[in-house]
Amino acid sequence: MTENILEFQNVSFRYEGSSEKEQLPLAVRDVSFSVKKGDFVAILGHNGSGKSTLAKLSNSILLPESGKVLVNGMDTADESLSYDIRRTVGVVFQNPDNQIVASVVEEDVAFGPENLGVPPEEIRKRVDNALKAVGMYEYRKHEPHKLSGGQKQRVAIAGMIAMLPECIVLDEPTAMLDPRGRKEVMDTILKLNREMGMTVVFITHFMEEAVRASRVIVMDNAEILMDGTPREVFRQADRVKAAGLDVPKPAELARALQKKGVPMPDDILTASEFTEYFLKRFGESNNATT
Amino acid sequence: MIKDITIGQYFPGNSVIHKLDPRGKLVLTFVYIILIFLCRNFAALGVMLLYLLAVVLLSRISLKMLAKSLKPILLIVLITSLLQILYNDDGRVLWEAGRFQLTTGGIFMAIFTAVRIAALVAASSMLTYTTSPTLLTDAIERLFSPLKAVHINVHSIAMMMTIALRFIPTLIDEVDKIMSAQKARGAQLDTGSILQRGKALVPVFIPLFVNSFTRAYDLAFAMECRCYRGGEGRTRLKVMKLRLRDYMAFLITALCIVAIAVSNYYLTAVI
Repeated sequence: MTENILEFQNVSFRYEGSSEKEQLPLAVRDVSFSVKKGDFVAILGHNGSGKSTLAKLSNSILLPESGKVLVNGMDTADESLSYDIRRTVGVVFQNPDNQIVASVVEEDVAFGPENLGVPPEEIRKRVDNALKAVGMYEYRKHEPHKLSGGQKQRVAIAGMIAMLPECIVLDEPTAMLDPRGRKEVMDTILKLNREMGMTVVFITHFMEEAVRASRVIVMDNAEILMDGTPREVFRQADRVKAAGLDVPKPAELARALQKKGVPMPDDILTASEFTEYFLKRFGESNNATT
Repeated sequence: MIKDITIGQYFPGNSVIHKLDPRGKLVLTFVYIILIFLCRNFAALGVMLLYLLAVVLLSRISLKMLAKSLKPILLIVLITSLLQILYNDDGRVLWEAGRFQLTTGGIFMAIFTAVRIAALVAASSMLTYTTSPTLLTDAIERLFSPLKAVHINVHSIAMMMTIALRFIPTLIDEVDKIMSAQKARGAQLDTGSILQRGKALVPVFIPLFVNSFTRAYDLAFAMECRCYRGGEGRTRLKVMKLRLRDYMAFLITALCIVAIAVSNYYLTAVI
């Protein structure tokens, strides 16, 4: 039980309409999945697939209409637990500008621990460690609005990890960033997962990012469409495409070659895998013929 | 133009002035402003200006930055000084032209008014230049915490101020973006009568307002995610503690009060 840090049990949710009569369709319909400690789960889906709602459901910002969300066994519907739930599961949102509270980087990172009532010396340590973890330590005295998008998002992530959550949920943290900022943030998240052992739930619509997770959940039309390792999921390219998503480019190229009769394995995901296989297979056969 | 606003800006630094306890700085700034209005002769005014100069030099804020903060009030200073010269008939008459008299009283008063307004703005700018907004609002929260007794939620007010200050640059950027977007779609923001220009600003401010609400929602979510529950049980990264340098600042200011009292008492007042 306790090894699942986050557990969705048949969760459904709908947003309130603008009038009482108007009932909006379900944003999330009968969704069940669980996240193990130390996992790196990517949740994929096109706009409106319900994936962002999952983020807000995971730390009792939103409560399910039916079903249950459990954080370390704590029910998010229990209001008396919401504080403990939020210090266990930290959520980082899309727009870093709207998450930064203070006018100095280190003061913003300190905001979470301050709310937790952590003693000042301990806050100092946590702030420094968090800023070092995201590679923003030398910017600790800077003003957030003068930083780049990627830097701001890393500050927002530092603000979350300074609270020492066990799990961090990132709701499209790279959607508003340029490619460079995306890479910065992505590298930071991977580091948190691999080096600090933090559980990561990463919501995105970029395939190249999802490929780096240990597990991919594809959302479509408020429901879970697929759930598995990146290889398992992207092998079924047609289903991924039906959900309005792209298949990673190297995988797509491999598939196209396959259709033309070139023998390629099913599970190529990244550019390096592609080149490696290609060189091994065709580099050698070339040598054989000559 | 819109980016030139320096009010409420903070320039991080490591000087003595930066390190002073923000509560002390806040109180001393108020004392300073009151004192500058109590000066009645040039000696007293000189003392106060020296005080300001010392603070500026110690803070290592460039004089150019300070001048920038004074630029927006230049017109007000000039007009009020001019009015003093025109309408003040005290003292010796230096020059006369019809109904207009140039008197020593007028000139002195003009100088004093100009210096007072400039010093007032310079002193408050020095406060915000050297104190981060979070610390400043923290200081306000602590100084006014006795008001909790009469059920005023000092913490919420301070939090609102922090957030307001934090979002000034963000919203300025946003105004710039919206204006460019509306210009790109043919809006004429810089031409026409004042009325026309005012009307043209409506399509700038409506999206700004709508976006501000979205931002407010997002920020509220983000703050909840970071376990914000109001002022109860919060600790602070920076502990406020009066140190030797703060007591030195109090002492120096106290000496200034004495100097002004003495000069007001023994020297002849020029205004």
